[in-house]
Amino acid sequence: MKARSIKYLTGEGIKNVWVNRLMSIASVGVLMACMVLIGIAVIIGQNVNRAMVGLEKQNVVMVYFNDYNSVMYPIDFDADDEMIDPSTITDDMYVVHNDEEGKAVAEKIEKLDNIAEVEYFTKEEDMQRFEDKKISNITDDVNFCSCGAKVTLKDLSRFDETIEGIEKVEGVYHISSSDETAEIISAIKDGLGTAGIWIIAILLIISLVIVCNTIRVTMYNRKLEISIMKAVGATDAFVRLPFVVEGILLGLISAILSEVVVYFCYRVMLETFIPSIMGATMPVSFASAALPIFGLFVAIGVVSGVIGSVIMISKYLRREGSEFKAYN
Amino acid sequence: MRVINTNTQVPGYEQPLIEFRGVSKTYIGGTHALSDVNLKINKGEFVFVVGSSGAGKSTFMKLIMREEKANVGEVIVNGYNLSTMKRKQVPMLRRTMGIVFQDFRLIPNMNVFENVAFAMHVVGAGSRKIRKEVSRALAKVGLGHKARSMPDELSGGEQQRVGLARALVNAPDLIIADEPTGNVDPNMSYEIVGLLDEINKRGTTILMVTHDHNLVRDFNHRVIMLDGGKIVADNAEGSAL
Repeated sequence: MKARSIKYLTGEGIKNVWVNRLMSIASVGVLMACMVLIGIAVIIGQNVNRAMVGLEKQNVVMVYFNDYNSVMYPIDFDADDEMIDPSTITDDMYVVHNDEEGKAVAEKIEKLDNIAEVEYFTKEEDMQRFEDKKISNITDDVNFCSCGAKVTLKDLSRFDETIEGIEKVEGVYHISSSDETAEIISAIKDGLGTAGIWIIAILLIISLVIVCNTIRVTMYNRKLEISIMKAVGATDAFVRLPFVVEGILLGLISAILSEVVVYFCYRVMLETFIPSIMGATMPVSFASAALPIFGLFVAIGVVSGVIGSVIMISKYLRREGSEFKAYN
Repeated sequence: MRVINTNTQVPGYEQPLIEFRGVSKTYIGGTHALSDVNLKINKGEFVFVVGSSGAGKSTFMKLIMREEKANVGEVIVNGYNLSTMKRKQVPMLRRTMGIVFQDFRLIPNMNVFENVAFAMHVVGAGSRKIRKEVSRALAKVGLGHKARSMPDELSGGEQQRVGLARALVNAPDLIIADEPTGNVDPNMSYEIVGLLDEINKRGTTILMVTHDHNLVRDFNHRVIMLDGGKIVADNAEGSAL
């Protein structure tokens, strides 16, 4: 197709938006409703994600090493159990004999995948941490704690595999973790992700149906024009282009207006419920979210505009468009 | 598919603009619209197609415009074999012809100039050429002064002349006029056919469907009469009707 034809048809497409202005307003309105819902879902999702990151940071696993105390006071040690005779414990019964060896084990853990931070602690430091939770039959002057490391994970969704990896490190005796918290946070994140995808998918389909409908109405309004176009030798692409331009334009107008509406909605949300879900974490600023959301809107508008118009006009041209007498 | 002239042609022999070779057309449902039609229409001819309703005139025209495909036989128009032609080639065929409709088919929200220019936009003509050719076509049909008028401001005859200007603006080899006088008064009918006659004298082939036997007799061109899907008469002169 010649450049001047493209220019002419683009102009025709723009003109059509005005000529069919009632239908255009209706389409923009419904498209906007979809886009605003998507925008709000995205921006709430971003805030929840940020809040989750804050929660994740608090999620730390305590890894205890296989030292003398781990043999002397095993994890399943109970108050009624008989104490092990210390003279029976030999050096080869445990791996970590001093802090240097303990730090070496911590370094090995640090090198594993999905580890954000490892902080080594001595058995004395751990004892200090436990001072309020002493086991009843252990006297104050006895340190039953083991040395170990405070390990922070990067991605909680990979919790199980990471723990498995830590367990395999030589010198690791026991891992104390709040895996329930990890599971809950992970489930919330997964749930939000899945719900978000479904919401966006459904709204995308609705947008597509709306654009298809607008194009169909426009097309039937312009049957005469199409029949004349075909009679004077217009190609399918020539007939199709103004509709595609019209679809894209409706999508773009909807995207711009939706961005404005989402901005005002977010301002209201910031004053109402967003702070309560964020806790101590700062909410996402609209400025940082605006560009990705606008990009998403434009993509939705353009994709639904192009696909909608191509589907509808191709269907029409295949069925009856080549028979320009079908107008009668 | 464009038919290429063969070397076996007799020198001086002119390939017909339209040729039907044993053409039959039966619609889904079993209606036999045309049966074994054979005919040739040469370049520069003016041919009237007459016949009662259901005689096969519409199918005859649809086959030429490649709105329909023949079930049997071959239709060759302006060098294109319409039986083997692919759908995407149809626009190229239609650019070699101008079509005048009984109901004018002017776009209501475009003025006279834009309606005629529309046909040139479709073929990708430049704006300077469009201005020049549209003005020339409107002058030919005597509507140069109405270029800015809207279709609803024109009489039936004037609207049909706009339709005629649109059909000839791309300088086609063939003009197909489907009952162009069906919606205009008798005086205007003569004016419309008179214009077609003038266009024909400049070398354009005219194929016109009509019910008006007076016009056929008075303009005295070749006349093909269809009845029951067959050509029942093909007279070189309309006065024989």
